[in-house]
Amino acid sequence: MYLESRRTFLKGAAMTVAGAAIAKGVFSTDAAAESVENSKFTNTPDSLSFYPPLDQWEGFQELDGNDWKRGGINRHGVQSEENPDGIMVNDYMLVPTACSNCEASCGLTAWIDKKTFTVKKYMGNPLHPASRGRNCAKGYAVQSQMYDPDRIPFPLKRAPGSKRGEGKWIRTTWDEAMTTIGKKMGDTLRNGDELSRKSVMYHVGRPNENGFVPQVWETMGLDSYNSHTNICSSNGRTPSIWTANDDRSSPDWANAKLIFLNSSHAADAGHYFQQSASFIADARKKGAKMVVMDPRMSNSAGMSDLWIAAWPGTEAAIYLYLANRILSENMTDKKFVKKWFNWETLMNDHKHLDFMLEKGQITKAPTGNSFDDYMALLKDMYAPYTLEYAVKETHVPAYKLEKLYEMFIWAGDAISTYIWRAAAAGNRGAWMGGRAAYFCIGLRGAIGTEGGTFFHHWHVISVSGKGGSSTLGQGAGGADVPKVKVWNELTWPPEWPLSTYEMSYLLPHLLTDTAWQKKWNDRGLKVPSKLSVYIPRMYNPVWINPDGFRWIEVLKDETKMELTMNLSPVWSETNWYMDYVLPVGLAGERHDQHSEATFPARWTSFRQPVLRVALEKSGWKAKNPNRATLEAHVKAGLGEVWEENEFFFDLCVNYIDPDGSLGIKKMWESKRHPGKPVTIPEWYDAAFGDNLPKLKETATNDERYSKEEFPVYAYLRDHGAWMEEDKIYNAMERELKFEDGEVISHGHKFDAGSMSVGTAGVIKAKDHHGKDTTIGIEIDGKKMEGFETLTRKLEFFTQWATDWKWREYAMPFYPRNDKEKVEMVHLVSHVNHMYMKEENSFALNTVFRLPYNIHTRSANSKHLMEISQNHDPIWIYTKDAQRLGFKRGDAMRVKIVDTVSGLDSGYFVAMAVPTEAVMPGTLACSHHGGRWKLTNHVTVPNGVTDGKVDPSTAPRDLNNKEFLKESPANIGKAGAQTKIDDYSGTTGINSFGVPVAEIQMDGKIGKLKYVEGIKGFKAERFAEYNRDSENIWWDGLSGSWQNAVAAPHPDPISGMHCWHHKVILEPAQPGDKIGDIFVNYDNNFKVYQAWRDQLSRGLDSNSTIRRPRHIKRPWVSLDSTAYDVTIKS
Amino acid sequence: MDEIIARSNIYALLSRILLQELDVEILNTLMEDKTVLEFLPHWNEWELRTTLSNQKLLEEYLNPDFTNLSLLHLVPYETFYTRADQMIETGGANPVTDIYSAYDFIVDYAVARVVSSDHIGVELEFMHHLCQAQIKAIEESDHESVTELLAVQHRFLNTHLLKWAPMYLINMKYESRTPLYYDTAEMALEFILSDNEMLSAVVPKVS
Repeated sequence: MYLESRRTFLKGAAMTVAGAAIAKGVFSTDAAAESVENSKFTNTPDSLSFYPPLDQWEGFQELDGNDWKRGGINRHGVQSEENPDGIMVNDYMLVPTACSNCEASCGLTAWIDKKTFTVKKYMGNPLHPASRGRNCAKGYAVQSQMYDPDRIPFPLKRAPGSKRGEGKWIRTTWDEAMTTIGKKMGDTLRNGDELSRKSVMYHVGRPNENGFVPQVWETMGLDSYNSHTNICSSNGRTPSIWTANDDRSSPDWANAKLIFLNSSHAADAGHYFQQSASFIADARKKGAKMVVMDPRMSNSAGMSDLWIAAWPGTEAAIYLYLANRILSENMTDKKFVKKWFNWETLMNDHKHLDFMLEKGQITKAPTGNSFDDYMALLKDMYAPYTLEYAVKETHVPAYKLEKLYEMFIWAGDAISTYIWRAAAAGNRGAWMGGRAAYFCIGLRGAIGTEGGTFFHHWHVISVSGKGGSSTLGQGAGGADVPKVKVWNELTWPPEWPLSTYEMSYLLPHLLTDTAWQKKWNDRGLKVPSKLSVYIPRMYNPVWINPDGFRWIEVLKDETKMELTMNLSPVWSETNWYMDYVLPVGLAGERHDQHSEATFPARWTSFRQPVLRVALEKSGWKAKNPNRATLEAHVKAGLGEVWEENEFFFDLCVNYIDPDGSLGIKKMWESKRHPGKPVTIPEWYDAAFGDNLPKLKETATNDERYSKEEFPVYAYLRDHGAWMEEDKIYNAMERELKFEDGEVISHGHKFDAGSMSVGTAGVIKAKDHHGKDTTIGIEIDGKKMEGFETLTRKLEFFTQWATDWKWREYAMPFYPRNDKEKVEMVHLVSHVNHMYMKEENSFALNTVFRLPYNIHTRSANSKHLMEISQNHDPIWIYTKDAQRLGFKRGDAMRVKIVDTVSGLDSGYFVAMAVPTEAVMPGTLACSHHGGRWKLTNHVTVPNGVTDGKVDPSTAPRDLNNKEFLKESPANIGKAGAQTKIDDYSGTTGINSFGVPVAEIQMDGKIGKLKYVEGIKGFKAERFAEYNRDSENIWWDGLSGSWQNAVAAPHPDPISGMHCWHHKVILEPAQPGDKIGDIFVNYDNNFKVYQAWRDQLSRGLDSNSTIRRPRHIKRPWVSLDSTAYDVTIKS
Repeated sequence: MDEIIARSNIYALLSRILLQELDVEILNTLMEDKTVLEFLPHWNEWELRTTLSNQKLLEEYLNPDFTNLSLLHLVPYETFYTRADQMIETGGANPVTDIYSAYDFIVDYAVARVVSSDHIGVELEFMHHLCQAQIKAIEESDHESVTELLAVQHRFLNTHLLKWAPMYLINMKYESRTPLYYDTAEMALEFILSDNEMLSAVVPKVS
């Protein structure tokens, strides 16, 4: 029929108006269309890969994202001379680096616009084996940090005549700062006495590098490296040390059948978050189950297969319930246990077996010392950990524990877990939870397996401090650096000989506690009463540590801290009280070798100052090769922002020891250019090349790099990441290697001729200093490396702990009744339900991380602050809130009470959010909130001398030869201060994320009250990037500064500050505002003393060494004499 | 030659009516061209067409009806019918853009005032341009191009317009409240089906 009608349509030819005149004419075939045709761009690409191949990284064209919003190339074509209205094409150079916003070191690429020499965006690095081109919100925030209008533009110095904390600053030069600081350090060291070598202290927040800065301090012979670890994760590391003598666990998430998270960490925040979450997603796609144990329903718990809300600190009881069932139902992997548990040690230690019998840990003495006797002993020992017991102690319903056991057994030997913060960081004694976890995982043989749980040191690369062959003095890998011969009691006090890391959070207390100093000085130690120089690095101890007002007191006291400087790119609470603030770079502005154990492989990332690298790859050469990063940042308009590597090279060679008399200068003097500090390419080519043979072979045989002066450095400069070894499973079974009369174990060499096999197969040999060392184990005739323990097996009987006064905890254990909870209080959380006697008392869970915040560094990332505005409320169970009359949004006084001393610490005022997502009787409020500042702006005139110079005259353009020829002369020196782009002389302070507060403190009582929220403003610096700075709709309040209210709670064994609190909830009083705090820091001092004196078991007159020699003493290598001690009666 | 001119004109006419509301100029054509009036019989016979002023006709009858048919109640975009989620693909992933780009055509959205390039008016105008190209090829005795253009027209009809336009046009016919759009819907439906039959006969196989 249609053909019939067609004859009618033929009439169309007779229309009076031609079709061409009728049609609207919506198509064009002009330059726009041709520009698309002539370009490589298409709306329908063959793949959706974000990243170009590596060979295009030096020159990659991409359509502009913002411009694209106008409608894309189908509407406007591609921009060209003929088609100026088309979509803009960016001409990028991609430079790899690594994120530094959390510890995971995910790969990044900086997309540097050549035409403006700015970083247009940060994306992931597809060559990074662990992050695989992906990042979390914090990774993409690196750009907003780079172009932060409030970032510190030049070195700052406290104004002469002003007091610390007055807020008066002047601009200074890098040279002046380094001269002053270097002289003070040099003078201190020249005293040559023991105290002097404890009087310079470096204090790092998150190191994010593997050994560089520790090497700096080691070359100075100082025991001065202090880390934040004991407020972070040390209770999580202790079980690894006691069990495997390793720093931490290392999961194989991607291949696990059961992902057992003892926290919200890994899957939705916290340690290695993005990489872990991706691997966990891979596993779940393959059918893995996920269990989350957490009193708070985190995002991870919400998407888990099983949520276990255990009372904080009782997790060990759950693990031991699992152990009991595994043992009693004969589900043990006996082959693994027989091979790798140190059962022989226990079964031959009759003293300890008698002790266990005496204490009722076992009901009968073993009849023999065979493996079967051991298994019988374990069954007997763990039989009391019944379902009924576990339910009573943990408050977890029975059906959930039974379900957990089913899943645990179902997963076989593919159970992955990560023992870290969470329960451990919150609770006294919770290190035992991790130890009990390893125990039941070990019973199932899930250690070292594919999909199982393993240990850190096999999965990490630490070479950052090992570039010594490039220097005159250090020798290959630092072999010629003398070991440190002092022991610093301020970081390793005698009360905590087994502390996992430094007792860093007690620094102000120890400096204030003259009675403590006198006590130990009287007993023969030399305890510093002051610090000559205190150097935090990108760290904010005032805000993040417990008892913040005590920190302020000590930082302000010039008799206790004579000279202070913070290496910090941004403003912080701590910086306000410093003598110097020296701006070093962020993720894309510094060099670091950084590796983490995020999957069963050994990979490293290489963090780089991307703008410097881009300049150098374009042909630019620094005027001063030892300050190339500083020159590059000035050229890029970031300001006089440097990096620590070059800073320390220069400081050691030219400022601390300019004449070489201290022996420090040669340690950092370039072998190629004696008299000058080593350069970045020299150092890293050696650090990587001397220690990573596969990388060296690859780089030196790659025609792109083989002709480079520093081929290994160049390879990592271009790739940003490297994997030296993959699929590392069951590494304890690696056989000992023999080469040229030496035997190699765990990468260390020993004299093969001195090797002997002793009790239980333990192999010993002499090291290069002639010292007998356990190096491996022989089992069934096979000589293997084993674990790093003294017995080379997993030590579920930690015999050495009995020598350090903790015999009752040598085996995995948790108090089985109320009597034992009193006797073994060290294992009982200070927020256990037995302490909750008042109807309005609660256990406050504080340690969960917020996935979008980064402690100190996130406060002025607009991108992150905008997505994180929730005032960090108090999660309270609905019926608890109802019972006490609290409704959503109500202000509450949260009063902190210590359960050891019974003292009040004060209170903070926070907002109630009733929810079903928290365990009854517990509260949740992250301690990562409550940032504050004392003023909105600070005026520091732009330039203090006549030498205010323009950094360059040619426009910033990597294609412009004139621009590449220029570089600022005499950078960092007097008279060469550069003009800072668009800087008027006044800078804002964390304008995007921190409100203004007033503080009052009198030595005993401290108060803080917020007085002014943040407002939109017109950014002057980096105005183009910050063009929406006037759009601020949030007030900046990020919760209460609860850390200041918190008293220090040092765990008697691990030294961890146990973050959780017993709190009493009260309604807010008239005048209270959310965010207010009231602190009795006089009481907090007494709380520290109570925990120290009532719980710790320190050195005494019987002690001969400060700490077991075989366990890790982090950061610097100590001479064996440093361990020796004599304590007077 | 008449046939291709007729096809070109009809695609242009239908494209224009279905693309945007009418203006006075096109309304005059629709009022006066006898051929057009023959194509649109109810419009031809509609009393109000001759009794109302053009302005009143546009503002109170035709343009409200157009708005109803193409903006409010019906959706004249291909991807609305072809995507499982009934979302209009406004970006570069719209499949119709591939074929436009292949012939160096680019939609000028400022002129078209549509949200995506698979609007029925745009697709019909594309057919009009293919017909115009064919006219040019015939004039230049470029038989190879003629053959290819017929194949392209056939392919475009089958891979795009015929996949969805009938559904829209049938609904339009029943939703319309004025004889002009009622007739246009019917004519457009009949024409594209008829045109496909013709093309199927002359194009050996769908390429």
